[in-house]
Amino acid sequence: MKRLRFLTVTRRVFRDLRNDRRTLALIIIAPIFVMFVFGLAFSGEVKNIVFIVVNLDRGASVSPGGVPLSLSDKIVSNLDREVLKIEFGDDREAALAKIENGEAYAAIIFPEDFTSRVLADVQGKASGSATAVELLLDRSNINVANTITRTVNDALLATMDQAGVQPPLKVESTAVFGQGAKFMDFFVPGIMAFAVYMITTLLTLITFVGERTSGTLQRMLATPLTERDIVLGYATTFSIIGVGQALLLLVIGILVFHITVVGNVLLAFLVIALLAVVSQALGILLSSTARREAQAIQVLPFVVLPAFLLAGIFWPVEAIPMWLRPLSYIVPPTYTVDACRAVMLKGWGIGKIWIDILALLLMAAFFLSLAVWSLRVGKD
Amino acid sequence: MEDNGNVYMVQTRGLVKRYGKFTAVDHLDLQVRKGEIYGLLGPNGAGKTTTIKMLCGLLKMTEGEAYVTGRRMPDKRIASGIGYMPQETALYPGLTVHQNIKFFGEVFGLPKQEIEGREKPLLDFINLAGWRDELVGNLSGGMKHRVSLACALVHMPPLLLLDEPTVGVDPELRVSFWDYFDEIKSRGRTILITTHYMDEANHCDRIGFMRDGRLIAEGRPGEMLEKAGADNLEDAFMKFSERAERGEKR
Repeated sequence: MKRLRFLTVTRRVFRDLRNDRRTLALIIIAPIFVMFVFGLAFSGEVKNIVFIVVNLDRGASVSPGGVPLSLSDKIVSNLDREVLKIEFGDDREAALAKIENGEAYAAIIFPEDFTSRVLADVQGKASGSATAVELLLDRSNINVANTITRTVNDALLATMDQAGVQPPLKVESTAVFGQGAKFMDFFVPGIMAFAVYMITTLLTLITFVGERTSGTLQRMLATPLTERDIVLGYATTFSIIGVGQALLLLVIGILVFHITVVGNVLLAFLVIALLAVVSQALGILLSSTARREAQAIQVLPFVVLPAFLLAGIFWPVEAIPMWLRPLSYIVPPTYTVDACRAVMLKGWGIGKIWIDILALLLMAAFFLSLAVWSLRVGKD
Repeated sequence: MEDNGNVYMVQTRGLVKRYGKFTAVDHLDLQVRKGEIYGLLGPNGAGKTTTIKMLCGLLKMTEGEAYVTGRRMPDKRIASGIGYMPQETALYPGLTVHQNIKFFGEVFGLPKQEIEGREKPLLDFINLAGWRDELVGNLSGGMKHRVSLACALVHMPPLLLLDEPTVGVDPELRVSFWDYFDEIKSRGRTILITTHYMDEANHCDRIGFMRDGRLIAEGRPGEMLEKAGADNLEDAFMKFSERAERGEKR
C-alpha cells in the first residue's frame, strides 16, 4: 500500500484534468492540430507548378514516307501532370519573360531539329555531342527546382525506354524498407514524439508552478507523501496521457493520412511513454526556476525549439551540421523519433532499438532524480 | 532530552533556523503538552510560520533539536500523526470541495468509506454542506479557508499544526472554529496554533509570545495578564516586547 501511495497523486492529477475542459482540449486537440497543419501544408510533395512547354520540334520520319515521329510530344506526355501544371508557349523569349515575372517556375524548350538529331544520335550518325533540351529554371526555391528537374528527368528516361533506346548505364533501386512510403509515413512518428514532448513538458511545468505557488506542494509534503511519490505520481499520469495522445495520432494517421505501419505499435507506445516520463520530470525541474506561471512560459522556447529543429522530426539528424549534432543527442525526443520510425516504418524489434530505449531510460533516471532533488532543495 | 512523547507532543530545544545571515528562529525552546491548545502569538515575521514548518519537516533545522509526537526530527514517520494547515489556501482550485477533502484523506491511506463518513460532519462544521460539488476555485477566500481546515482534519491526527487558521474567517464562524477546537481537544488531541488575533488567544490553554524568532514570554492567558500587569493580551504583548528590548540593550 505504501509503495503505491504515489497513485493517489496520479488519480488527483487525472481528476484535475477531467474537471478542466480547456486543458483537456489542449491534450486532445493540440496534437491533432499540429498533425494536420504540418501534414497538409508541409507534406513535402510539391504540386501544381506552372511549367511552360515551348515545342519547336518538327519531328522526323523513322522510315521514308512514314508518319512523322515527334519525340518531344512523347516526352511532354510523360511529364507528371500532378506535379506540373503545363502551359504551352510559342517562343523562348515569352517563356523567359513569364519566369522573370514569377508567372511560371520553369520552361522547357525543344529545338526545331530535336527528334531528327536524337534519331541520328541513336543511329550513330551524329557529331558525337549529345542533343540538348533547354530547361529554364527559377532556382530561388530549391525544393520546387529539384522537383522540376526530377520530373523532367523521369519523363526523358520513360520516353527513351518506350522508344526502345536503352541507356548504357542504369541504377536499379530496391526499397529495403519503406516500400511506397509517403511523407506522412515518415512524419507521423516524428509528430507523435514532438506533440507528447511539448504538451507534457508544458502541462507539468504549469501545473507544478501552481503546486508550488498555491502551497499544495508543501501541504502534500507534510503528509506521508514523499518527494518521490509526487514525482512518480505525475510521471504515471503523464505517461498514460502520452500513450493516449500517441494512440489518437496513430488512428488519425491511419484513417485520414493512410499511413502504413509495419512494426509492433506497442513498442512505439513504450518509447512514447518513456518520453512522457522524461518530459514531465523536465517540467517539474523547470518549474523550480519560476515563481509565477508567467515566468514559466519564458523558458518554453528553450524547451520546444531545440526539440522541434534538432530531434530529426522534419529532416534527419544527419542533415544537421556536425558541430550542432551533439545537441540533437541531448534533446530527449531524438531517441523517440528514431525508435518510433524504426518500429513503424521498418518493423524493427526491441533488439534493434535497444540503444534508443537505453538512452531514454538513462534520461528518465537522470531527470527523475533531478526532479526529486529539486523538490528537496526547497527545505533549506 | 529523552523521549517524552507521553507528555509532550512537541518539544524543541535551542531550535534555530538561519537563512544566510538572517535568523528567523533563534534558540527556541517550546513545549506543547498532550491534549492542550497552545497558541503561538506574535507579529508577522516573528518566526511562527518558520517554526511550524520545521515541526512538519518542511524546513531543515539549522541548529538544535526537536521532537514531534515523540520522534526526533527530522523523521518522515511523524507525517501520519500530524494535520498541517498552511497559511496559504493550499487547495486545488480545479477540484471540487469533495475532491480536495478526498485527496487529502487518500494520501493518509484512508479507505473510501471512511473518508466519506468523515466528510459529512466536517462539511457541516465548516458550514459548506451545500457546496460539496463546487469547484474550490469558485469559492470566496473565507470559504476556501474553511475547506483548507477540513483537509487538515480529515484523517483525525493526534497533533494539529494550524498556521493562522482564522485569517479571513468572519467573527461568527471564528467562534464556531474555537468551539470545534475545544471539542477536538476534549477528544485528547493536541493543537498548536499560530495567530495574530490577540483576543482569540484567550481560548488557548497556554500561549507563547514570539518576537524576532524568540519566545519572550509563556504561560496561561490569565497568568500573562498578571505578569505584565495589563488588561488585555495586546497590551501584555507590548509590555513583554518592551522588556525584551530593554534586556537586549543591557
